[in-house]
Formats: sequence, C-alpha cells, structure tokens
Amino acid sequence: MAFKGISIVVARCLSSLELLFGLHRGLSQANLRLVADGLAGALAIGVAAATPAAAQEKPGSLGLGIFTFTSGPAAAYGMPGKNAADLIIEEINAKGGIEGVPVRATYVDEAQGAQGVIAEYRRLAADAQNQVMVAALSSANCLALAPLAEQLEVPTVGWNCDTHQLLIDGKRKYVFRPNGNTVPEFIAYAIYLLDRKPDVKTVAIINPDYAFGHDAAKIFTAALKALKPDVEIVAELYPKLGSPNYQTEISRLATARPDVVFSNLWGADLENFVRQAAPRGIFTSSQVILALGETVLQRVPLPDGVIVGVLGDGWWMSPDAKANPETAKFAERYKARFGEYPVFPSIKMANTLIYVKAAYKAAMQKNGGKWPTRAELADAMKGSKVATLTGTAQTRADNDGLVDQIVGVTVKTSGQQFPVIGDMVRYKGESLMPQAGQDPFAWISTLKPEFAKSLPKPGSYK
Amino acid sequence: MRTIFATLAVLILAVLPVAAPWLQFVLTLAIAKGFAALGVAVLLRAGLISIGHAMFFAASAYGVAFLARAGIHDFGLLLILSVLAGALVGAVAGSFLVRYRAIFFAMLNLAVSMVFYALCAKLYSVTGGTDGMPVPVPAVFGIVFAEPVFKNVLFYLSLGLMVLVGVSVQRYLNSPLGHALSAVHTNEIRLEYLGIPVWAVLLIAYVISAALAGLGGAIAGFAIGRVVPDFAFWTASGHLVLIAVLGGIGGVPGAFIGALFLELLHSAAVTVTDSWNLIVGITLIVVIMFMPQGVYGLFARREVSSL
Repeated sequence: MAFKGISIVVARCLSSLELLFGLHRGLSQANLRLVADGLAGALAIGVAAATPAAAQEKPGSLGLGIFTFTSGPAAAYGMPGKNAADLIIEEINAKGGIEGVPVRATYVDEAQGAQGVIAEYRRLAADAQNQVMVAALSSANCLALAPLAEQLEVPTVGWNCDTHQLLIDGKRKYVFRPNGNTVPEFIAYAIYLLDRKPDVKTVAIINPDYAFGHDAAKIFTAALKALKPDVEIVAELYPKLGSPNYQTEISRLATARPDVVFSNLWGADLENFVRQAAPRGIFTSSQVILALGETVLQRVPLPDGVIVGVLGDGWWMSPDAKANPETAKFAERYKARFGEYPVFPSIKMANTLIYVKAAYKAAMQKNGGKWPTRAELADAMKGSKVATLTGTAQTRADNDGLVDQIVGVTVKTSGQQFPVIGDMVRYKGESLMPQAGQDPFAWISTLKPEFAKSLPKPGSYK
Repeated sequence: MRTIFATLAVLILAVLPVAAPWLQFVLTLAIAKGFAALGVAVLLRAGLISIGHAMFFAASAYGVAFLARAGIHDFGLLLILSVLAGALVGAVAGSFLVRYRAIFFAMLNLAVSMVFYALCAKLYSVTGGTDGMPVPVPAVFGIVFAEPVFKNVLFYLSLGLMVLVGVSVQRYLNSPLGHALSAVHTNEIRLEYLGIPVWAVLLIAYVISAALAGLGGAIAGFAIGRVVPDFAFWTASGHLVLIAVLGGIGGVPGAFIGALFLELLHSAAVTVTDSWNLIVGITLIVVIMFMPQGVYGLFARREVSSL
C-alpha cells in the first residue's frame, strides 16, 4: 500500500517536472500541481500506514520489527544476528508460524543512528500488525527507544544491549531483556581469572572507547578490587572504535608487562588486535582475557589458554547446547547457509525470538486461546521462564533477564579446525546479579573473597 | 502567490501527522534540522561554508540535558537558555573563526566541532559518553503533559516557530546587515572602504546562525528524548550543509524544504532496502545535477518568470 503511494508520488512529481522544464513555462498552475500532487501522495502514504488492523482476531501474518546493524563496521556483530533471525523465522514458519500465524520480519538498520532508528520504530509501531519489536543491538539505541516503548506501549525485547542502565529504575512495563546485563557478564571474568590465576598482581585493560568499553572496565575493575584488593591496574587504554592499528597500545602493554590483559574489543577491532598482538608476544607474556573472544574463534588463530566467553550462555558447543537436538540442528543449518558456525550474537538473537514465541504461547493460554494484544504479550513476558537453545532465560520483576554465564579458555581439539572453549565454568545467572533496584556498583563493592569460593570452579562444567 | 504557497505548505504540514502519527516525529526532526540548515545558509550568503555547525546543534541539545539535570523543568526556559548556550558557544568560536575565509574557515569549523565531539564522547562521567544523556519531558507553561501530548505540543510549537523565525530571518537578510553578507562575498575590501566593519557583520551573522542551529538542536533533543555525541559528529555537519545546498540557498524556505525532502527521502529509502544510503546518494546526485538552484529553485525561478 505504502509502496503504491510512493510510486504515485514519484510518478506525479516526474510528470510535473516535465511540465516545468517543458513548454508550459507560462502556466503557474504547474507549480500548484507539483505541490498538490506531492502532498496528496504523502497523505495517501500516511493514511495507508495509519490504518489499524483488528487486534483480537488471528491476523494473516505477524509483524516483528528487528533492529540490528546491517551496514557499517558494527555489522560484523549485527549480521550474525540477522542471519540467525532469518534462519529461526524460516524454521518457525515451516512449522506453521507462531500459534498458526506466519511471522514476517522487518529489519531496521541501526547504523542510521538514534534519530533514524526512532523514526523507523514509530513507523513500525503505527501498524498494529507489528506487535513486538526486537530492539536493539546498540545500548545507546536501546536507551533511546526505551521511553518510546513505554509511551507507545509496544513490547520491546532487547536482543543484545547489555548496559546496566537500561532497566535500572525498575519501572519499565514494556521493555524486556532476556539476554543479560553487563554486570554479571564482566564479574564472571574477574571470578574466573582469580580462580585460575590466584596470584595475579597487575592488570592492564584495553577496551573500545565508548560506553560499553568504559562500563566493562569499571565493572571488571570494581569486581577485582572487591575480591582481591591488592590488584593494581597498570594501564587503561581506550583505542578508538574501528581503529585498524593497535601498535601504540601494544607497545604500552609490552612495556607495562602486566600479569593480565583484559579486553572487550569486538568485531574487526578484535581481529586486528589479535593479529597485531600475537607476533609481539602479548599472549605469551600475559594472561589475556578476551571477553568477546568467542566471536573470532573461527576467524583468527587464537593461541591456547586465552580466557574467552560468550557474555551469557550462548555457546553453541556447550554441554547443554549439545544435549539439545534443536541447537545442533540450528548450528548445522547455520553452517550450511552462511559458511560459519553461529557465534554468540547469533545465539542471542535466536534465543530472543524463541522468547517472543514463548510469550505468544503463554499469553494465549492465559486469555483462552484468543490472539493476544500487545499489553497481554508484555504481561506474558513478565516473570516468564523460557527454555532457550542454550539454557533458560528467567525474567525478573524488573524485566531484566537472568541467564547463566559461561567462561573458559581456548583449547585445541581434534573435532574442529579452530580452537574451542575448554575448562569451562557455568555460573548461575542469579548468583552474579544484584537484586532488582540495587545500585550495581554498591553491590559489587560488598563482594567478599568467600563469595567467589562458593561458586563453581573452572573445569566444573563438562 | 508566494504567501499562498507558504500558507498552504504550512497547513498541509500541520495536518500530515493527523493522517500518519509516525510522521510527526520525522517532521519535527526535519523542522529542527531545517533551523540548523538555515543557520548554515545564512553564512553561505557571505560565501562561508561551515562544516561544523552540528557543534552548536549539539551544544544546545546538551544544554537542555544539563539544565534538566540541574532541575529546570520549564519548556520555555529550557528552550531559551539552551539557544543562548548555543549562541554563546557561537560567539566564542565565531570571535576567531570569522577572521578566516574559504577552505580555512570550513576546515577550522570542522576542527573546532570535532574537538567538541571528542569532549562529549570522552568526558564519560559528565556526558555519559556514547550512551548520551536523557532529556525528560518538561512542563509547558506550568502544565505537565503526558509524553505523547508533549510531542504534539512540540511539533506545533516548532511549526509556529518555523514561521516566526523564518519571517524574522528573512527580514534580517533583507536588512542592510543582511545585504552586507552578500557584499562580503562579492567584494570585501569595498565594504571596508565604505566604513562597514566586516568582522562585526560576520560575527553577528555567525552568532545568529549558531543560535539557529541551537534552536534546532534543542527541538531535536526534546523530540528524541536523548542526546548523544553523534549530534556533533562531522557527518552531521555535512548533513546540514547538504540540506542547505539541496533546498537552495536563495531564501529562507529553502532550508526547510531541503530538510523535509531529505528526511522524507531517508524514511522512504530505509523501508525499501538495506542499501538506503545508495538511494539517498543517487537522489542527491540527481538533484544537484538537474536542479542547481536546489529544490526551492523550482519555485523561486517560477516566481521571477511570472513577474
């Protein structure tokens, strides 16, 4: 409908232009026609977009707005998400859709920035068939969309934005995040590190220079200081996001000679860093932690013994994932279609869509089989516990998700050509999260070494 | 004839969001960028291209966020103070930038704006880094509205301001001070010999253009509800120059026409394909190749020929 409107406008404008440039220069009506046609067309698009669909009857198709990076450098992270969404939706539709209604996804490119993302969100939300938004990847976009979700009352499920600020006030009714939060994600590394290397003295941090990098450094440092107060941070480096060259930073790391190098670089940045740091011996002189290391296992040859993880439980080769035939099937289909096994952003997206599907089922059970409204869907997500491809996603009262955290070290196996994660530990989601409404940094500062002793040890997850 | 067009256009703009509520945000943003592009267009009169006006846009938007954090919740007060903040930054930067011409002016503007951008992104504990700062819903003349109602109020207020400010800028451009700008472009030395201080003429224009960009930034801040450093990035500045050139620098409506055109084009392009950049780019090339006077040139030229 909207396309038709657009084409009418284009056609009419063109015909008016012809008048303008042609022989009709004397006629002032041509101007008027151009303006009138353009505006009439714009109105037509508007009316078409604003026409609401009936909510309670089963619609012909179910619209999902999926927000991810499909262009620019962040697409290195966003495209695995989109690929996974394509696969899972295909799988859902092959089985007849969600509760018998086929799913139709509209992808929105987050690379257009907060303004464009908000405009697209509003446009999609105006169509009542789009009942749920899976938004977004970037934390800045999630923070910008959250007030909008509340205002427009559209259930919005964050698939990858981890910032602890998102749900901190506990007042959100329509924003959910069944995927994890920066606080448990980075505390997990501090605990694992101290278990594996209890005598660590000096730590250097090299993170990307934006909120995610700074947040991670703050949480990791706070957790280390709480659990082992004599640890010293000898260098904090924040290279620009998307830099191709890390030689200066690597020189700093080489001269500081820290026991541990922590990094949450990702995407092409991480690949570049690893390729440049390995020949200069960073991986042999220090214990390196790559918080998002799993995403590059299949792409760069990481040496053995690097601490890596998946910011959650989304490791497709974890014992739980291997025990689930759905996950194995998903991984094989992903490999067949895209030439690579899924990385954890893919799993996060897949799990989020499974979460949305489960919400439909729960909402329809609750209201007696009728097609749910947006409000009923949000209600069904609240407090839900959903079995995902790699574990469970438990939604708390503040809508934040509890997922387990898997951390391990790189090891070579005969089964795969690339290094995999071994010596794993799986921390329970709730054990690393502050209570709802609690200031996360105040909570971290109360942690004691005994707390870490109560948790499972490296190698315990087999 | 011209007034009829303008009135008609404003009326249609006022009605559009009733038909398509999602357009309201796009249009508010377009008007906000129109203000900023108008600021760029004012300087273009004097032949000065500023590739740094996003700085004032962002300065004012951050102004709103900081003032709101400091406890000011009145819409009018926030708007006025933040525009003044934008103008103040403009006065400081302008005091040394207006000594330069041509590429030096463009590049120095770019440099200063990127310093500002870096500060916004790096002063993590003050500005929230790339996650930005929230802009809460303010009270309008003492009345606290729900968010959707406020967005309506904001849209119609921006529309009203667009007319009001547009007319004022038109009058400024038609005043001796405004004509002096074109004179700077044609022959600066002659202006000095006539006893008109070029530096003052340009500084006034610079502060006015910074205030216009600031007004746009404040409106955008309210509309988006969050201020991020990207507001000040050089691509945003380039975007503003593009809007000004695209709309046509001949008159005040050009900036707003350009902004509406670009925002609507963007909205249409992203719905069609992932390669929305390609569509936007090709359209811009077509406009620049075949409409050298900008979109507004279509109307302006007709005006002349019908006289």
